[in-house]
Amino acid sequence: MIINLLKQCLKKSHGYSELRYHKRDTFTVSVKDGKIDILNRGTVEGACARTLMDGSWGFSSTTLLEKDKIEEILENAASLAEASRPKKKRAIKLASVKPYVDKYETPMKIDPRKTSREELVRLVIDVDKNVRGFSQNIVSDTVTFNILDDELTFLSSEGAEISQRIVRCFGNVMVIARERGNIASAYESMGAQSGLEVLKGTPLSNVGKTAAERANKLVSAEVAPAGLFPVILENRIVGLLAHEAVGHCAEADLVYGGSFLADKIGKEVATKKVTLVDDGLCPDGFGTMKYDDEGVPTQKTVIIEKGICRSFLHSRETARHFGVSPTGNARAWNFEFDPIIRMRNTYIEAGNYSLEELAEDIKEGFFLKGGLGGQADFNGEFMFGTQEAIRIKNGKFAESLRGVTISGNAFEVLKNVDAIGKDFVMRLGMCGKEQINYVGMGGASLRTKLLMGGAK
Amino acid sequence: MSLTDYTRLAVKYCEKAGADEAEAFAQNQQTIEVVLERAEIQSERVKTQRGIGIRIIKDKKLGFAFSSTLSKSSIEEACRNAQNLANVSIPNPDWVSLPTLAKLPKPPNGIYDEQTAGMGGDKVLELAMRSYDEAKAYDKRVDIDDGKFSAFLTKVAISNSHGVEAEEKSTLLQGYLICMAKEHGEASSMAFEYDVTRRVKDFSSERIGRVAAEKALASLKPKVVETFIGKVILDSDSAATILTYPIMNGVNADNVQRGRSLWAGKIGEKVASQKLTVVDDGLLPNGIGSSSFDSEGVPHQKTPVITRGKLEGYLHNAYTANKDKKKSTGNAYRDGYYMLPIIYTSNLIVEAGKKKLENIISEVDKGIIVRRFSGNVRPESGEFSGIAKQASYIEKGEIKYPLKETMISGNAFQALKNIVEIGSETRPTLLKAYVPPIIVDKINIVSK
Repeated sequence: MIINLLKQCLKKSHGYSELRYHKRDTFTVSVKDGKIDILNRGTVEGACARTLMDGSWGFSSTTLLEKDKIEEILENAASLAEASRPKKKRAIKLASVKPYVDKYETPMKIDPRKTSREELVRLVIDVDKNVRGFSQNIVSDTVTFNILDDELTFLSSEGAEISQRIVRCFGNVMVIARERGNIASAYESMGAQSGLEVLKGTPLSNVGKTAAERANKLVSAEVAPAGLFPVILENRIVGLLAHEAVGHCAEADLVYGGSFLADKIGKEVATKKVTLVDDGLCPDGFGTMKYDDEGVPTQKTVIIEKGICRSFLHSRETARHFGVSPTGNARAWNFEFDPIIRMRNTYIEAGNYSLEELAEDIKEGFFLKGGLGGQADFNGEFMFGTQEAIRIKNGKFAESLRGVTISGNAFEVLKNVDAIGKDFVMRLGMCGKEQINYVGMGGASLRTKLLMGGAK
Repeated sequence: MSLTDYTRLAVKYCEKAGADEAEAFAQNQQTIEVVLERAEIQSERVKTQRGIGIRIIKDKKLGFAFSSTLSKSSIEEACRNAQNLANVSIPNPDWVSLPTLAKLPKPPNGIYDEQTAGMGGDKVLELAMRSYDEAKAYDKRVDIDDGKFSAFLTKVAISNSHGVEAEEKSTLLQGYLICMAKEHGEASSMAFEYDVTRRVKDFSSERIGRVAAEKALASLKPKVVETFIGKVILDSDSAATILTYPIMNGVNADNVQRGRSLWAGKIGEKVASQKLTVVDDGLLPNGIGSSSFDSEGVPHQKTPVITRGKLEGYLHNAYTANKDKKKSTGNAYRDGYYMLPIIYTSNLIVEAGKKKLENIISEVDKGIIVRRFSGNVRPESGEFSGIAKQASYIEKGEIKYPLKETMISGNAFQALKNIVEIGSETRPTLLKAYVPPIIVDKINIVSK
C-alpha cells in the first residue's frame, strides 16, 4: 500500500511536511462526424512533498514511487525551503487545523470501474448520429465523454491521514452548422462529480440536441448589437457571473493584493436579493471535496449574504494572515503543483421569479444563453462569452441573435441584480489560475445590466 | 534504457499481440518553476513528466492508452489497454496508414541550449528576481501581483511499425509577470508581459519587468471614449489571439475536410489583404515550435499558408494527408504523451512589415491601440468580442489617454481583408505564432 510507504518516509521529514499521492485514471471517447477520433485510457500517478521550514515553503514532486525517491522529494522540499528563505520577505505561518484521519469517496450509484467501456462508446456514437441527423445544415460535430477517477492521499507531519476518491463523469458536444456562406458553432456540456448515473439525470443526447438546435438557429442569425442593455442571464451561465465577477476577487491571495472586495467585509456590495456562496460540499458539485489539498475540511462559505460581503476564501496560510479560520479552498491540479486558493462550487442562491416574470419589465434587452470563456480583473472588471442572445421587446421574447462577450464592473453589475429566478442549476466548469482546476458553477436565471460587445 | 528503447519495445509488443500498426510516443520533461504570488516568491517546483502514449490500429480500428510509468510491465499493460479499446472501437474506412519512413532534416539550430538545460532552481529564481526588481524599481506606484518563470528540458522519442524512429531534445524558457499600478486609491487593470525563448542569452527578464510596469502605469487614470467604428492597432499578443487563431483554424486540414473551415475550397483565392503573408516553418532557427520532426515522426518543413493575401494551402497530419492523397506537412502535434496527435502549427510566422509601431501610431487619425485582449474569438466564424485592456485612445497620430470599460468586436476573417499596415517588430507569442503588431480598420469600439 502506497499510504504505508508514504507514512514511513514522512517520519524522516523536517519542519512541517506534507506528502500527497495522486493517481488519475482517465477514460475518453470522442466521436467526430460518425468516426472515432479519440478512444483513450490512461493513468498518471505521482507524489509530492511540501515542507515549511522557518517560514518558507519548498516543494518537489516525482512519478517514481519508490522509497528512496519519496525520501528524495522530502529532502528536496526541505532544501528548497531553506535556500529560498533569505530571498523571501514574509515568514509564512499556518492557521492551525485538527489533523484529520478520514476516508471519503464520491457517492455513486453506478461506479464506472464496474461498467463496460463498450456501452459508453455506443452511447457516444448514437448521440453523434442524432446530432448530425438534426438538420441538413449540420455539417460537422464532436461528441465527447470522459471519466476521471482520482485517488488522493494526504499525509502531514501533524498526523493527518486522508484518503479520497473523487470521480467525475462529463461530456460535451460541439456542433457546426452551415447555410449558404454562413457558419455557426455551438457548444454544450454536462457532467457532475458522480458515477455514471449522471447520464440518466442529464442525458448526453439532450446536450447534443441543445447544441444542434442552437447551431442550426444561429447559422442564419445576425450578431447581437453593442451597448449597455438590461439582460437576463440564463441559469446555466449565472455561475460564470458568480465565478468571474465575484469569486476570484474573494480569493484571499487576490484580496491581499487589494482586489475590489478587499475593504468590503461587512459592507453592502450587492442588492439584498444576492446571496453568493462557494461551497465545497455541494452534492454532485464538480469542485466538491470533503477535504482540500491541505487536509482542511471544506465547508459552505458565504461570500455575500443578502448583499453584504461576509467572507473570503482561504488557505491555511492566508487564514492565519487574516486572523480567520481556513475555509478549505487550497487546491492543486495534481501532484505536480502545490495547492493555491481556488473556488470549489460557486453559486448565487435562487429567488422566486419565473423566466416570463424576469422578462416582463424589460422594454429592450436580451436573454443570454450558452457560456464561453471568461476572465476577471483585479479591479472588478470581468467578462465572459455567450453563444446566443434572444431579443426581449416589451417584455416578450423575440428572435435569436449570435451571442457576444459581455462585460461589466462587478460592483455595478451586482447592484443592478434586481430579480432572481427559481430555476437553479449547478454545472461544471474549468478555471485557469496559474494551474487549471475543475470547479462547479451555479445559479438561477437573473436580471441585471451588462455591456454587450456586439456590432454597432 | 533510453526513450527510444521504450518506444521500440512498445511497438514490438503491440505487433506481437496482433496490431496491424502501432506507434509509441515517449516523453521526458524536466521543469523548474518559480512562482511569484502577492509580490513574493510563493514556490519553487521541480517536476519530471515522464510517460508513454501508445496508438494501435487493428482492422482500421483505433485504440490509445498512456501511462506515466516507464517500465516494461506498465508498457505491456498500456499496450493491452490500447488493444482492448481497439476491440470495442468501430472501423474508420478513411484510415490509410501511420506515417512511413522518411529522411529527417538536421535538428534546427538553437532548439537545445546547454545553459538552459543546466539551469537549477537558483538560476530560474534569479531570472524571476531580475524581472521583479526591474518592475519594482521602475516606479513606486507599481505592484507585482503574480508571475511564473519556467525552464524546460524536453526529450521525445517516436517509433512506429513502419520503421519510423526519431528522438530529439530541446529546451525552453518562459516567464511572465502581472503588474498593476495604484494611485490615489485607484488600481489600474492587470498588465501582463512575458518572454519565451529557447536560449538563456535570448531571454530578457529585465524587459518583462520594465514593460509590465510600463503597461500598468500607462493604464492609470483611464477615460471612456464614445462608441465608434475605426482603426485598431493590435499589438503582437492581441493580434495573435484575434487574427492568427482563426487563421490556424481555417488552414487546419481536418477542419477543412469536415466543413468547419470557411476556407475549404478556397486555395488560390484572396482571403486577406495583400499585405499579409503567413508561413508555417517547423525548422525556424531558435523557433519555439521548431524540431526536426512532428509528433508522428514526420519531417518538419516550411509550408506557405498565405502569400500576399492569397490562400496557399492547408496544414496536414498523416491522417488528413492520406485522406486528401497528399503528403503530410508535418503538423501533427501533441502537448504530451497522454494525447493523440492533433493538427497544430509549428511556428506560424506572420511576415513583418517595414514600419515601426511608433510610426504606425503617428499615422492614425482616430483609433485605439490594444495591448491585451480579454475576450472570446469564435475560430470557425471569426466573430470576436471582448474587453480592450491596456488600451489607449489615439487622435491625430498621438496617444491621448488610456481607456476603461471599452470593448472591441468584429469578424476576424473580415478584419484580415481590412489590414491597413503590419508592423516591423515580430515576436513569439504564447500561441506559438510569431506576430508583429497589426493595424486593422472598421472594428467596433464599444463603450457604455
